[in-house]
Amino acid sequence: MMGRKREINRLPTVGERALMPAKNLLEEAGDMIILTGKTLVSAVKPPYPYGGEFVSQFLFALKLCWFPLLISTVAFGYGAPGLQASNFLVLFGAIDRLGGFFVLASIREFAPTVTAIVLAGVAGTAITADLGARKIREELDALQVLGVDPIKNLVVPRFLALMLVTGLFDVYALIFGIFGGIIATLVNGAPLGPFWATFFTNASTVDLWGSVIKCTLFGAIIAIVCCYKGMTASGGAEGVGRAVNQAVVIAFLGIFAFNYVFTQTLLATHPEIQVIR
Amino acid sequence: MSAINTKGNGWLESTGVLLRFCGRIMGEVYSLKVFKYFGEALRQCGILILSSTIVIWSLIFIIGLQCGIEGAYFNRSVGSPAYAGVFAAWCDLRELVPYSFGYMMSAKVGTGIVAELGSMRISDEIDALEVMGVPSLTFLCSTKLLAAWMVLPFVYLSGVGAGFLASYLAVVQQIGEVSSGGYQLIFWMFQNPPDLLYSVIKGMAMATTIVLVGCYYGYNASGGPVGVGTATAKSMVLNIVLVHVIGMLGTQLFWGANPRAPIGG
Repeated sequence: MMGRKREINRLPTVGERALMPAKNLLEEAGDMIILTGKTLVSAVKPPYPYGGEFVSQFLFALKLCWFPLLISTVAFGYGAPGLQASNFLVLFGAIDRLGGFFVLASIREFAPTVTAIVLAGVAGTAITADLGARKIREELDALQVLGVDPIKNLVVPRFLALMLVTGLFDVYALIFGIFGGIIATLVNGAPLGPFWATFFTNASTVDLWGSVIKCTLFGAIIAIVCCYKGMTASGGAEGVGRAVNQAVVIAFLGIFAFNYVFTQTLLATHPEIQVIR
Repeated sequence: MSAINTKGNGWLESTGVLLRFCGRIMGEVYSLKVFKYFGEALRQCGILILSSTIVIWSLIFIIGLQCGIEGAYFNRSVGSPAYAGVFAAWCDLRELVPYSFGYMMSAKVGTGIVAELGSMRISDEIDALEVMGVPSLTFLCSTKLLAAWMVLPFVYLSGVGAGFLASYLAVVQQIGEVSSGGYQLIFWMFQNPPDLLYSVIKGMAMATTIVLVGCYYGYNASGGPVGVGTATAKSMVLNIVLVHVIGMLGTQLFWGANPRAPIGG
């Protein structure tokens, strides 16, 4: 009798255990959305004490990311769209079309995504490590005791700086990605004039602003995920490392899931950018 | 000697240290000393399968969807929607599956290794291992490399499957401008077994690099809990750059001179 009763009592705990990962996931997603809301509100509400921190975070991300991003975009632009597409086009004797293809490949797709990957991997991890270190040294609690709002003074400047820096880096990635395409054209022994001609006839402003806006929103995702994970780091020595690990995984999945939705919406709502000229 | 060791050649020296460290780990695996700790390697395999497989597959799946819609819209714009399979086949197998595998490996497995080994280092557990007479490099790093080599080819191959399924769903079910049979015909015609082999080689080169870099930064972490976080962030920078460089070199090596397409002269 007693044994059966204990079993009945144990049942809900097993059920809870099974649902625990899903519950934790939903709770975390909810917390991140709350953090986004709080950040947006405290970014526009006066006072604005985060100017200095904003500038230093902006320069920090700029200094850290420019070189990895340069190598990554040239390598990606030369390898994936450059070599593979030019291989295909050479079969038809239409290597001049590579420029037109780079509008699709570079501006619409890989410049924003490679920028986001590099920024998440380089600047995002640094932010999580920094905030996580402050959290486990109880500096964040000390700030709150002093009456300094950590969201306004730490999260908001990082959020704004990362959005701005990813938006600007998108243009940078675009230029070096196209440089990869130029190398691919030259490797095939083709002249560059037709490349530029098809590139500029196919390029449209919708593509460009779509790319920059997409990349800016990637920056927002990275900033929120990395700040959240840093500020909730716990568990001593392994805690900060774990936080960085989880932050970068969530940021990557978030970036690509958002990218899919954004590209699909942009392509479906702007049929004029799909016309090859 | 310290006069030579100025700021200018610091990166050269650290590259040398990194390479020697990686050489030692790989030497332990090749000389089969690692099989003394085969149980630990199997445990690492289990951790890899249980904790990392799902995220790797889901990232490849999302990128497969992406390849699918870009391919469908691109082929519609050139007036040949039935040929979306060409774009999807090349985009998935040759480029983006290796890249997304590398991204998720460095994010999930690479930083995970740094966090684990780094916290062991700063809490003096690695020194304790040495005191007990266990060669820590073999026990901690080489077993991880062996586990990666045993498990990841299969994770990669099933990931390729996830990418293919996603592209199929995006092109045929979502955009729907080509019949299922027409898509499959073109899709399978534009790839062959050597392509798959080259793709696996690319992915495994990335995976090996990521595990070695992770071991290096974790094993040599210092500076308390904060140091572990910094080391994790630093390993990510190097991994991202190396993934892109390996991807480019692989493409140049395997498909640079020969498009391996079933058309043209």
